[in-house]
Amino acid sequence: MVVAGSQDALLAQMRRGTLQYCVLALLAKEERYGFDLVRALAELDGMVTSEGTIYPLLSRLRRDGLVESTWQESPSGPPRRYYRLTDSGRASLQAFKLEWRRFRDAVDHFVERKARS
Amino acid sequence: MSSTADHLIEKYMAHLRIELADLPRARQRELEQEIGEHIAAARAELPNESEAEIRNMLERIGDPEEIAAEAHDRVDPPAAVPVEQPRSRTHEVVALVFLLVGGLILPIFGWFVGLVLLWTSTVWTTGEKILGTIFVPGGLVLPLGLLLVAGTGNGVSCGGPIVGGALTCTDTQSTSAQVVGTIAVILLVIAPLATVAYLATRLRRPSVSLA
Repeated sequence: MVVAGSQDALLAQMRRGTLQYCVLALLAKEERYGFDLVRALAELDGMVTSEGTIYPLLSRLRRDGLVESTWQESPSGPPRRYYRLTDSGRASLQAFKLEWRRFRDAVDHFVERKARS
Repeated sequence: MSSTADHLIEKYMAHLRIELADLPRARQRELEQEIGEHIAAARAELPNESEAEIRNMLERIGDPEEIAAEAHDRVDPPAAVPVEQPRSRTHEVVALVFLLVGGLILPIFGWFVGLVLLWTSTVWTTGEKILGTIFVPGGLVLPLGLLLVAGTGNGVSCGGPIVGGALTCTDTQSTSAQVVGTIAVILLVIAPLATVAYLATRLRRPSVSLA
């Protein structure tokens, strides 16, 4: 059970570490407002456990200058804060992509091969 | 049904507000606003705003504690590793100068200033501070004063009560007493000098080792 527990913690850490890049990747395609972004992330199982934690993340990305936000009128209700990628956000995403591919391939190389043999 | 929904949401937001209370004002407002909007948008999609639906929605958003933890964890700069800056040693150098010769400029008071600076420094260890206090009593005032007394005292070598060893006070022109007196005075000169020199070398320690 200890092993299962530490594995849960590890997965939570991995999710946490990669989530911000998933957010950046989603914003690379188009600008989105918070709720919309959360919905897009929640579509894939296992990426977001608590939707509300996206907002502190967005706030941090904004303060770090990786995303910027503008208020835009909404067809219904009050104006919404739309997030979009900045140049430095784009660069950060690009750098992560390269590292991630290497990391993913390396892990696959060992984990997947073992599983097959 | 709507009043139950409002009540649950209000309760949730109040809880969130408490959890976020120690964040900077602007960030608190931003998170409250964003999550408030999220709730409004999610609520609009609910078919009939039943209590169960509202509870499920709030559960998906997550515990206010969890959101606040995220806000704190990621937001705060890594304070655990303070960057040790090359610090100026002015405080310590002034302390040593005053310890040694402060008493010559302002009797007793000057040395006392050095003592205060010695103890308020964060560089020396307590042991080194005690050393500086014991072995530099009055700095060079004491031995120089004694030399003066010995020189004008017409051969009377009288040390009086001296810290670190009493000198025999004799009015006979005993050469042995003079020799002892001279040695004692020399020691009294050397002790503060050596101690101050030692304390000065301790300043060169890399500050990192202090952490």
